Amino acid sequence: MTDWPTIELTDIERFRALAAGVPGAVVTERVLPAEPDRVKSMLADLDVFAEIQADLVSATVLERDGDRVVVLAKGRLGQRARLTGQLRPGWCWLQSRFLIMGMAVAAEPGGGTRVALTGGIRVPGRAAIVPIRVRQESAKSLDRLERLLRA
Amino acid sequence: MIEEQLVRAAQRGDTVAMNDVLDALTPYVGRICGPIALSDGPDAAQEALIAIFRGLRGLENPAAVFGWARAIAVREAVRVARRGQRQQPAELADLPAADDPQLTVDVQDVLRRLSPEHRAVLVLRDLEGMDEQAAAAVLDVPAGTAKSRLHRARASFRKAWRS
Repeated sequence: MTDWPTIELTDIERFRALAAGVPGAVVTERVLPAEPDRVKSMLADLDVFAEIQADLVSATVLERDGDRVVVLAKGRLGQRARLTGQLRPGWCWLQSRFLIMGMAVAAEPGGGTRVALTGGIRVPGRAAIVPIRVRQESAKSLDRLERLLRA
Repeated sequence: MIEEQLVRAAQRGDTVAMNDVLDALTPYVGRICGPIALSDGPDAAQEALIAIFRGLRGLENPAAVFGWARAIAVREAVRVARRGQRQQPAELADLPAADDPQLTVDVQDVLRRLSPEHRAVLVLRDLEGMDEQAAAAVLDVPAGTAKSRLHRARASFRKAWRS
């Protein structure tokens, strides 16, 4: 038997699964009226990525090895975080000791682009997020992304 | 393959290690769920991965992560396929032998004729190379049940195929 049916999951479907393993994580999704490639390229730019996150003023790649990155994020209150993880078009998963940030993008059947975000204050060193205001923050980030796409 | 160390790191709460485990397991879970859940395959694979990541911390033997994930994927694929079965359940068709040339003719058609449980037996036997006893353990049914399912299946499958 050679032609077994195969399936491929979208990054959004994979993202939901990964977030399910992080207690406290809330995945906020929205379908945006834009082409997937445009959304992916925007979010692959860490300046844009930082711009849509309420608490960040900048995010800079310090090291890159393929899609593995070390990112320095600076917060509005002067705080800094050294995040490590995976960053490629349509996918971002970063963690520091005190932060988790994730993003996934996929073409929506029927048109548009689905974007999913999660993240927040990490229970130090653990796969868990302090469940405070995570939904509101992600919704605001998606609002900002939507505005940037319209600009 | 996944290094045991990576699974242990994921279990300790390293979410980047979890991301790596996701990368390694996703194609495997998709390979199991596709032939069992057919058009519901993506839903089944997503639900299997969710169950896997919710349960990863409790996995006692990280070296056995693929076998553990396989059992979850089969269970979820059968469950989602049953839930999504829109057509009348097909009459129990039977499985051809692994080396039967007719099996190569149209796998999709063969699979559509089977119940989700029988597709699961077929996947475990032919795709995963398991014997009936091992397949029975994954499906959580007595070995005799898996064996008789397979045995009963063969003859009538051929009948259906010829008709």
